Amino acid sequence: MRRASTLLVSLAIAASTIGVSIQSAAAYDAHVWSNSDAFTATCLGFLDTYPKQHYALAVSQFAKLGFSPVAGTLGPAFTRSAFLSTVFYDYAVYVHSHGDNYWASSGAPNVDSGFLQDPGSGKCNSNTRDMVRSSAIRAATAGTSYNVVIMSTCMLGSKSSTMPSAFQIAKVKTATDREFYLGYVYHVWDSASLRFEKAFWGYMNGGAIHTRWLADAYTYASSIGGYEAVSSSEPFQANWWGNPKFDGSPYLPTAGCPTCPS
Amino acid sequence: MPILSSRISARSIAGTFAVAVCLVVSAGRLTAAPRPAGPSSQDVLGTPTRVETALDATGNASALARAGNTRDALGFPVGVQRIGKHVRDGFESVEYDEVSEIDSVGKVTSLTQFDAKGRLRAAIRLDGAPTGGSSVSRETATATAKRSAAATGLTAGATSVAEVDQATGGWTVRWARVEGGVPVRGDETRVRVWPNGRIQSVSNVGHELATAPSVTLAPETARRIASANMTRWFANRSSGYAIQTVNLEWVEPNGAFDPSRITAAPQPYRLAWVTDVKPTGAAADYMWLISLFVDAGDGNIIGGDFVE
Repeated sequence: MRRASTLLVSLAIAASTIGVSIQSAAAYDAHVWSNSDAFTATCLGFLDTYPKQHYALAVSQFAKLGFSPVAGTLGPAFTRSAFLSTVFYDYAVYVHSHGDNYWASSGAPNVDSGFLQDPGSGKCNSNTRDMVRSSAIRAATAGTSYNVVIMSTCMLGSKSSTMPSAFQIAKVKTATDREFYLGYVYHVWDSASLRFEKAFWGYMNGGAIHTRWLADAYTYASSIGGYEAVSSSEPFQANWWGNPKFDGSPYLPTAGCPTCPS
Repeated sequence: MPILSSRISARSIAGTFAVAVCLVVSAGRLTAAPRPAGPSSQDVLGTPTRVETALDATGNASALARAGNTRDALGFPVGVQRIGKHVRDGFESVEYDEVSEIDSVGKVTSLTQFDAKGRLRAAIRLDGAPTGGSSVSRETATATAKRSAAATGLTAGATSVAEVDQATGGWTVRWARVEGGVPVRGDETRVRVWPNGRIQSVSNVGHELATAPSVTLAPETARRIASANMTRWFANRSSGYAIQTVNLEWVEPNGAFDPSRITAAPQPYRLAWVTDVKPTGAAADYMWLISLFVDAGDGNIIGGDFVE
């Protein structure tokens, strides 16, 4: 839990000064949420295997970065209420689902981005029933900051996305807090997002942990290519915001960044 | 900060140390004996690994020289140190030689990768995109990209696509691979150009192609096969569909519809009718587009893709 972990960090620092082992003293919660029931035979007549592939990769790589515990939620436990009740305590969040930028309740041109919760076993998604809006997330996060937020959905990396601000991440590439947001600009093929995320994590975690920057992992993954475009007007394009020199270490995001060069 | 090191497990520290000892090459000279590459471990779902082996500076002099030439051709900065390694990359399911340029504080400023045949796979600079200022024109970016691709030995065909790079404000210029008039899905030469006209990266993706079938199904047949599957799948689900396009492409068979077909090893691309289907009704709420790969020889569904 976030507040508990703050205390644990203080205790851990104190403990380290007197030589006491502090292994696993601090908890930096992460959640990986993947909507799978909307993509099963119940709703489509066939099984879409991508949600599980994205989910498994994200769980393993958040853990490699040092977030712990990493709670994986593939399927019916991915509900709006579960998401909103736990997100405050997280330091890293990953979502794989259908996502888009919708008009806010106040109407156009205001946007309130969202993604779909898992509809539950034996059910299929409904936009009206299952949407998790950025406005609701913003309320649930209550000003708390986050290390890593990845929206593995369509559209939530576009300039009009309101999802980064739900996690208090400004849409700039010059942040100094330890924060990083990743999303896709347009509609995206699952094969392309999976290839991108594999390359992203391969660069980030392929060598010694915390020796590389998330923004460089983005650059690497964007540069290797091999991504099929959905259409000529919707090329493959990922985007990021946050700290360009953040190594992904789980930390209180506003506590300064000793490993980030100034 | 003590807390940072506390979270690095003893196992991680040991692994980090081993990799660091094995990989350092300074000024083209190996400072530790290379160790044999282990198998590229790959749990199909989720836990890929990357196995690195130091490049022997003597035995791999040509790779190091190629990397230097590529770096210079693209105007990438020269590091104070170079690290060469052979990589079995379980994340991307490929093997390559990689040479990194390291700056005075130990950061990778650029890297170049070459495949087993010595062809450039990627050259990427990582020293940060410039900020501010106006971007070069599409025409200038395309011309620069074409020159850079040629300078690194890559083929840039006549037809390119230049897209604004949302992240940098520069351009991504792409040449799709076409074999015998048929596109190879995802294969391309890609050049990313910074707003100031300098090159951020040059890369090439090219897959092995299987033998084309002796007889290619007619597109109407593929459409019928895709339609029959969609009708069966969507029956009694309050959903409909409309077939948007049926295009002949080289595609990689995959496990999009069948988890037993998900493999870590890349497979030769096969000729298929790529049939894009737009869901309507209930399914349109959560599935934006479905692609079925209908084998152009036998009509089997050999994979597909989704826009969720």
